[in-house]
Amino acid sequence: MTRADYCAVLFAALLLPYLYISQWTGDEAGVAASIMNGGQTTKVSLAHDHTLEIDGALGTSIIKIEEGKIRFTASPCLGKQCIHSGWLQHAGEFAACLPNRISVAVLGEEPRFDSINF
Amino acid sequence: MKPLWLSLLLIATLGITACSEAPPQVHKAKLFTLGTLVDVSVLHQDEAATQQAVEIVESELAIINRQWHAWRDSPLTAINQQLALGETVTIDAATYRFIKQAQTLAADSNQLFNPTIGSLVERWEFHSDDRPNGAPPTKANIDELLKQAPSMANITLTETTLASNNPAVQFDFGAFGKGYAINRAIEQLKQAGIENAIVNAGGDLSAIGSKGKQPWRIGVRHPTSAGVIAAIETDGDESVFTSGNYERFFDFDGKRYHHIIDPRSGYPANNAISVTVIHHNAATADAAATALFIAGVKEWPQIAQQMGIDKVMLIDEALTIYMTPQMAQRIHIEIDDAQIKIIGDNG
Amino acid sequence: MSGKSNSTTATKSGITMTTTPDDHLIAWLAALAIAIHIIESVLPSPLPGVKPGLANVITIAVFILYGWRTAVWVSMLRVLVGSILIGTFLSPTFMLSFSGAVASLIVLWLASRLPGEGLGPIGLCLLAAMAHMFGQFYIAYLLFIPHDGLFKLLPLLMTAAVVFGIISGIIVRSMLRHLDKRKNDTTTIINPRNEQEK
Repeated sequence: MTRADYCAVLFAALLLPYLYISQWTGDEAGVAASIMNGGQTTKVSLAHDHTLEIDGALGTSIIKIEEGKIRFTASPCLGKQCIHSGWLQHAGEFAACLPNRISVAVLGEEPRFDSINF
Repeated sequence: MKPLWLSLLLIATLGITACSEAPPQVHKAKLFTLGTLVDVSVLHQDEAATQQAVEIVESELAIINRQWHAWRDSPLTAINQQLALGETVTIDAATYRFIKQAQTLAADSNQLFNPTIGSLVERWEFHSDDRPNGAPPTKANIDELLKQAPSMANITLTETTLASNNPAVQFDFGAFGKGYAINRAIEQLKQAGIENAIVNAGGDLSAIGSKGKQPWRIGVRHPTSAGVIAAIETDGDESVFTSGNYERFFDFDGKRYHHIIDPRSGYPANNAISVTVIHHNAATADAAATALFIAGVKEWPQIAQQMGIDKVMLIDEALTIYMTPQMAQRIHIEIDDAQIKIIGDNG
Repeated sequence: MSGKSNSTTATKSGITMTTTPDDHLIAWLAALAIAIHIIESVLPSPLPGVKPGLANVITIAVFILYGWRTAVWVSMLRVLVGSILIGTFLSPTFMLSFSGAVASLIVLWLASRLPGEGLGPIGLCLLAAMAHMFGQFYIAYLLFIPHDGLFKLLPLLMTAAVVFGIISGIIVRSMLRHLDKRKNDTTTIINPRNEQEK
């Protein structure tokens, strides 16, 4: 093996881990969520556990962030659809309290879907 | 010299990997109109153009909402009052187009899509932004309304006039107005030069163009649990509409009553839990999703054929998924152990 | 490459073609390359049509023995004839083979420009295999599957390329040693006629 051969092997040895790291990480797990209240949007991090009280059109909705997930735990609406949506974790997951005009969407690198039909 | 060449090679290869084509830029905006949350996604446009797009969509949807609102004072409620009195209403071209399309769809669906049962819907208390509170209407109530049997067949429509021979006819275009509004919004977007966008109003959407080299990816929500049950990649300009028993409902005495009333029985239809339709015309898709939901497991293939719909997915209470072969080609079921039945031939 | 005998064939039209032993070897190597190409086409791969590039063994051997131009010849011959025999000529598979071969050849050309001792068989095979994979991957991405998600496969494919590249390098190295040994022996044992030519 010549010196240049060793350089080539070194190059390959550097390139491979680089490829794995650059293409395989950057997970789809959400790191942040965006909360829209009426017209205003706020971004929150999912990295730390929090309980948020948000005042919407009808009253106060309570949103909990725990272990990288987020959900509505209380809301003044009649239907409680927002609460029934459960824990949101992956990029693109979404829940909204329409009567209270509050919505929560998990943000991520590349959402799997451009739009959700329901 | 050697290290120079090798490092050039290194840079070149890193360059190739790093330059995996930058993901297409999609601008998104949310607005609240048509009584629901509307998502507008636009590809590649700059801030100003995106903002303009959002405004176009907002104003178009607001116009339709104002015009055809089923219960707040609107031109529609005025029409309803006149028809109840047996009067002939003078209408303009836009109104004519709207009602004409609804009339055709109603006929094709064997009147399962019936936008004249406003009284029945009101009796079920779905004529409000909130959820109904209290007991469902009594059977006597419902029978009384059923006897009057209002339908689009009672309507006489000309380009300038509208009349009904049944005073029980009370328009409620809830199963059609959203689709119609989205059609209009899309038309306006195209006129403004926007060719790649999605307008999603409360879950029902129309997509035009594509996301650069990739199609738009639409996720269909699971009717009973969190997450997505199916994925669709759009092909050209298409609308994806779903009618489900989970969208608007109320519970009473342990029973769930949802908002899609079967005009034949007067009660919420219970032969399906959701129907998803793909079609290029949003208004047709809207009416069809409702009609096919009402038609249910047994009758949907016939109605779909009559309405010219070839891409249908119906899910019943047991979570069995029924679909046409054309839908099977387009949709990808994302859950494990799905029970899928393909109904119909490739026609 | 002295010491090997020529053979002369007269064709029907009366034209005399003289083939050197080198030509024989090249033809033989080309045939071998085509055979490997065909065998490789049945190997499974995470991305259909994308191959680790074992046929590069021949390309590199030819490159080392006969230079870049001959390597181009053999390589193109392999891709064309191979695809005609398998029946994939001008198909997507063909595009992938072709782009892989072109990428390897470009890298070999650059390598031939290296001053000093340059790269040995292992280095050459390694770099050629990696270039081969990149070429194939990029064409697959540009022409057939423009999904960004495709890049998730790249680390795996490149690992396979590196592994096969090094293995090919070892194969080429022993091939060359064998041929070298043969060359040294021919003068006395295999071709007694050479005694006269000398």
